[in-house]
Amino acid sequence: MAVIGYGLAVIGAAISIGISCFGATTSMARQPEIQGRVFTTFILGAAFAEALALIGFVLALIA
Amino acid sequence: MNPLDGLQEGIAELLEELGSLKLSGPDSFFISQYTVWMVIAAIVLVIVAFAAKKREALVPKGRFLNGVEYVVQWVRDDICRGVIGKGSEKHLPFLLTVFFFIVINNLLGLVPGAKPGTGTISVTFAVSLIVFIYFNFYGFKHQGIGGYIKNLAPKGIGPLYPLVWCIELISLFLRLITLAVRLFANMYAGHIVMGVFAMLANLFLQAALQGAGFAIALPSIGWELLIIAMYALELLVAVIQAYVFTLLSAVYISLATADSH
Repeated sequence: MAVIGYGLAVIGAAISIGISCFGATTSMARQPEIQGRVFTTFILGAAFAEALALIGFVLALIA
Repeated sequence: MNPLDGLQEGIAELLEELGSLKLSGPDSFFISQYTVWMVIAAIVLVIVAFAAKKREALVPKGRFLNGVEYVVQWVRDDICRGVIGKGSEKHLPFLLTVFFFIVINNLLGLVPGAKPGTGTISVTFAVSLIVFIYFNFYGFKHQGIGGYIKNLAPKGIGPLYPLVWCIELISLFLRLITLAVRLFANMYAGHIVMGVFAMLANLFLQAALQGAGFAIALPSIGWELLIIAMYALELLVAVIQAYVFTLLSAVYISLATADSH
């Protein structure tokens, strides 16, 4: 049961990381000189999204 | 005989080993294996820092000094100046300490048998508590106690202000939890995955050695290759998590010390 819950928690995080990666690559391709700042923002966004999946992971371990 | 029979037992043993084991001291406040490895990481950090300082020169020579200077410069330019901007110099020592402490702890965790400090929630929560106190202190210092509390929510939203203020207050305390949980869960999950892969490689080989035939040991090679791939990934994760932790600390500091929202 906990594993199923973790799988459900990961869906949202996976979609959001995918979307942020898509945005980052698109903007980098359009404007390569802004690469550094886009990468920093992408890592930040991915970290926020990933935190939700990791909270799910910890809860799956506890439950 | 199925070689996967011993897996459940092995995983239970692995999880027990990754918990905090008491080495000495009273039950409520004891020294665990994580404490020992954290102290080792701190000693490595001190040795690296002093060795680099001792060799400091106008023109850095050698791989060691150039490597350390490159990382310091990267934290300064990419994280400190890039995020905080003006007046970032006084936060640089703090961010460098956080970054080096976490990165050395994470990299120590890749040594087989090592239990790095960042693999337990206690250490990561302590580090995130220090960051939390630090950025709140600078927020109070920069904007005054009343100003900082008032500036949690943006101005000019009219009657929504109390609601937004409450949400912002909750998110302020959530930062404390998410910082700690993100680092801990990343390292812990990596350790479990590598441990399970190593166990699977071992189980198939054991079955072959006990006379189940040579062919049954073949999956061991695959698991062994997967461990190597996971090691490469964990090396990346170790550095990226230290980077993310430091970057988020810098973002929180810059939010707290910004003049207005």
